[in-house]
Amino acid sequence: MSEPRNPGMSSLHAVAPVQPSDSPCAVDIDPVEYTLRKRLPRKLPKRRNDVYVNMKTDFRAQLARCQKLLDGGSGHREICVHGLGLAINRAINIALQLQASSQGALQLAANTSTVELVDDLEPEDADEVAEPLTRTRNNSAIHIKVFYPDP
Amino acid sequence: MSAAKVKMRQKKLRNQPASVQCLSSSVHDESSPHPNAGVFARARAAEVSAMLRAVTKTTGSCHVFGALPRHMRRRAMSHNTKRLPCRLREMANRMREKCLQGGVKKKEQAKNKSRKARRRHGNMLLEFNRRQRKNVWLETHIWHAKRFHMVKKWGYCLGDRPTLKCYRPSYRAMSTHCLLQDLSYYCCLELQGEEDKLLDCLSQSMYCFSHSTGPTFAQRLCLSGQRQGSLVLYRAGQFPSQPLGSVTFLWRPRTPGSVHRHLWTWVHPTLKQDVLTEFQSVCQCQSVVPPHVPLVMDAKVVSTTDLEPKPERKHTPGTKRKQSEKDAGGPLAKKILGDGTRSPETPVTWKSSSTGILINDLTMEIVRYRLIGPQSHSVLTEALEAATDCDVRAPSCLWWPNHCKEESKMKLHQQQTDLFHTLKGVYSTAELPPGIVLGLTVDDPRLSIPPKRVKALSCVKEVGDEKRKELSLRGVPEHCCESFLWEQSVRNNVTENKISEQDLNRMRSEVLVPGSRLSPVPLQGRVPILLVHQPGKQVGHEMNSWGAGWDLLLPKGWGMAFWIPLVYRDVRIGGLKMSLTHSQNKGVPHFPHDYPDCPAGARFQGEQESELLEKFKRRPPAKRTNYIKHGCLAPFSCPWQQLAEEWDVIGSEGGIQAQSTSLGDIAMRAERTSHHQVPGTKQQTHFTVLRYLVFFMTICYVMFTLVPVALLNFIPIILFPRTRKSLRLLSSWCGPTSSQGQRSYCVREMPPLDHTAKKSFLASHGMSLVWVRLSLLLKGKPDLHAMVSVPTADDLKLLSRGGPGSSAPQEPPHRDHLKSTLKRGKKGTKKVASDTPSTSGQITTTSNDPQLSCPASDVVLGVWPNPLPSVTSHCSRVTLGWVTQADFSLSAGCGEALGFVSVTGLVHTLISQPLEHRGTVLLRNPMSLQYRFAKINIEV
Repeated sequence: MSEPRNPGMSSLHAVAPVQPSDSPCAVDIDPVEYTLRKRLPRKLPKRRNDVYVNMKTDFRAQLARCQKLLDGGSGHREICVHGLGLAINRAINIALQLQASSQGALQLAANTSTVELVDDLEPEDADEVAEPLTRTRNNSAIHIKVFYPDP
Repeated sequence: MSAAKVKMRQKKLRNQPASVQCLSSSVHDESSPHPNAGVFARARAAEVSAMLRAVTKTTGSCHVFGALPRHMRRRAMSHNTKRLPCRLREMANRMREKCLQGGVKKKEQAKNKSRKARRRHGNMLLEFNRRQRKNVWLETHIWHAKRFHMVKKWGYCLGDRPTLKCYRPSYRAMSTHCLLQDLSYYCCLELQGEEDKLLDCLSQSMYCFSHSTGPTFAQRLCLSGQRQGSLVLYRAGQFPSQPLGSVTFLWRPRTPGSVHRHLWTWVHPTLKQDVLTEFQSVCQCQSVVPPHVPLVMDAKVVSTTDLEPKPERKHTPGTKRKQSEKDAGGPLAKKILGDGTRSPETPVTWKSSSTGILINDLTMEIVRYRLIGPQSHSVLTEALEAATDCDVRAPSCLWWPNHCKEESKMKLHQQQTDLFHTLKGVYSTAELPPGIVLGLTVDDPRLSIPPKRVKALSCVKEVGDEKRKELSLRGVPEHCCESFLWEQSVRNNVTENKISEQDLNRMRSEVLVPGSRLSPVPLQGRVPILLVHQPGKQVGHEMNSWGAGWDLLLPKGWGMAFWIPLVYRDVRIGGLKMSLTHSQNKGVPHFPHDYPDCPAGARFQGEQESELLEKFKRRPPAKRTNYIKHGCLAPFSCPWQQLAEEWDVIGSEGGIQAQSTSLGDIAMRAERTSHHQVPGTKQQTHFTVLRYLVFFMTICYVMFTLVPVALLNFIPIILFPRTRKSLRLLSSWCGPTSSQGQRSYCVREMPPLDHTAKKSFLASHGMSLVWVRLSLLLKGKPDLHAMVSVPTADDLKLLSRGGPGSSAPQEPPHRDHLKSTLKRGKKGTKKVASDTPSTSGQITTTSNDPQLSCPASDVVLGVWPNPLPSVTSHCSRVTLGWVTQADFSLSAGCGEALGFVSVTGLVHTLISQPLEHRGTVLLRNPMSLQYRFAKINIEV
């Protein structure tokens, strides 16, 4: 996702549907009465060699972009592949593919983290006396550094 | 162009004797069977003499070389008469002298002021003031006029699109950085009064604010002034039927210990009069409060009064006498701030004696800028700086030093400043809760203009992590939403005491180190502002939060002072066209384009139709598109009412018929029956557009049932609360709500589409239209007013056989009955006229089609004349609806269109389609015969 063309990271939507029970809000949320709107995950500022992986773009295209960053004229010595939620699998897949195609020249260093996400809950009906809620939930993320080891 | 042609023709015929034509016609009119020889001869003689007179007189152009054949003319002849043949030379000399004399005379007559004089400041100001008497100029008008194609719309001069080619860069700015727009033309109506009474007045309809349930959080958010709300207004007590249009509103936060509240309603200028009268009737505000005619000239600050007389003293008697004379003669021209078109006596305030509510028309009193894009907060934080406090002991007539003396106000200012600094730590504008409001007082931004354009980028600092989290979860606390922009006295004070650009530059030039920042900040340089967050895309699953941004509200007079510093942060500037693109990418209906059921929307449609028709007529007839041949009934405006009615008939027919018959047959049959019915008793039910709220806030009390903002328009005749459910149902029936074969997300189980579900659904929403998004499956770029049609079973087979790459069907060309009838009629009349001139005007009698019997003056070749035939069954594919916004979508990478389709038609279509092709429709541009496959999405 280094091109912010699609700010909606669809990997979020792949997360299981509303789980009212685990919400930190004390209110019991009836899933019928609320509409869930997920806010965008907080992104860290991007360098040119940061790649945010999503589930919308074609896998091959994302792989090709990483490959291009590594061996193109720009010649980055290392890139960072970030994946969130469902896209973790894909991020790992990309990193491994890169490594395999480089015949062992590339090395990987993976880090995991937890990202706090924000959801807005809107009451379903206009005249129902309900309150719009905001809640947070956590999701896992992976950050894989793909790099050429220093000679 | 045509006016010039007419002028030219008149000039040519100036010397022609008019009698030539008159005579001939008068002879024609005499329709006696036996021509009298004497009369005939006299007429001929008069004609001959007229012709002789005409031949001897020179026509239009008085150039002598008109007498020469073309190959003997030379370019230089006009000024060097020696190049002419001898016989013409003398005449040419005479002519030339005459011309020269005439030229001199003309020049004397039309002598204008010299350019220098015209460009002198005072004269320029007078000229500008004269030019903005008719249409209101925004404060950024001059800036825009130099860079934009300007249009006169809704009583304003507005920038339509930049003269630069920057469609794509502007889109990129919206999705990655920031796009700036001047939205000051939106009108602000202020309601003041006690909270209970305001709410009471605004809830005189079905959906009233019930006091028994007590204020809830939802209402509290908007009511407390923490969020901006937005809704669709309906006329009082008319909830589902008479919408007025969409507005946004903002409450002023409560002041402790007072029930007096302020409510700002921001409306589009086309809507203003409707809303204002509605407000007046609902609040019973009829008595006019006379406006202050003499402008309240606040006591000028000491420094400015010092500065005022200076320029006058500078006048040295010799050089600028003219100007000083003029100054002495008339009153000094003053720059118009606010609305220059209305006279100062026009009432702007209305008061109610019974309820004590005050309505204030704040049009052009508040400047509103919109920043769109994920980086708009960093542009704001770079361009603005929170006001520095000052300690002046002496009482001042400026507002800020007085405020600085009060402890509580300073504390509030400190908190607001902290919040504003927290904004710097936010990565993207979309992270914030939608619609939050932040009040602030800032320094004059002109003081911190960078010497060069620099790109404002966010600098994410981990310092205020807790604060940032708090901001993105809870929003701005209530007391921090307060701004002194709400106070009229403060607004006036700030506007009156603005430092002029000239003084500021002088002060800058006196700074010791050139280019350094002015310090201390001059006392006048504190401005109260309001920042209002605008939520991005909230419907659908793709491009979430795209196009979020901030609105910046300023007191009038400060427009340019804030505009230039913002521009220097390397933002793109957009015009009206860009706001259309913005709402299109957001998938929301744009006001007034996409509100055909509102009076303002209907008016807009009429204007658009005449505009497009004029444009069409300007083309040479042979080069015009023949819309009749293309089978396009309504290329310029969409007959929604007719569509809804026809589908209603088809729906009721279809219910009776066996399900196996194709829709086309039903449509044909329904058309026939409806033709029979038309003169009979058909109850007039107006079509409705289903509006549906999507936003966070829900205050249903506001007068004419303010139904909270509607992103999706789904107008139920029955109960409103069910609309969202029915919309969601419809959306699930349309298949996955995603374009371009992306993964589908099915969150909840929905009842499948079958005949019982259909029947119950249509019982409630039969006459409704629904707002849909269409994304093309393959290539093609949809145009305005493209038709949405139902594919036949064969078309779907075509689609499945060749995959998405298969070719879409084509419409067989239609016959232009109108043209052939007209031709026949013309021929007929000619023949008839030669035989017996008495029976002319046979066109109407010869044409057997009643539709063609309309007066010939209305007929434009290639466009259907007005009573349209059945719109649904006109083409080989049944029409579902039309498109109102269409373009190639840069975000989706395919052609996308937004428009309305009939709910009845949609449900009938869906039920007849196999499951794998559910929601596939055909789209055809008005100027083409080629259909394109498109996927229909209803975004909830």
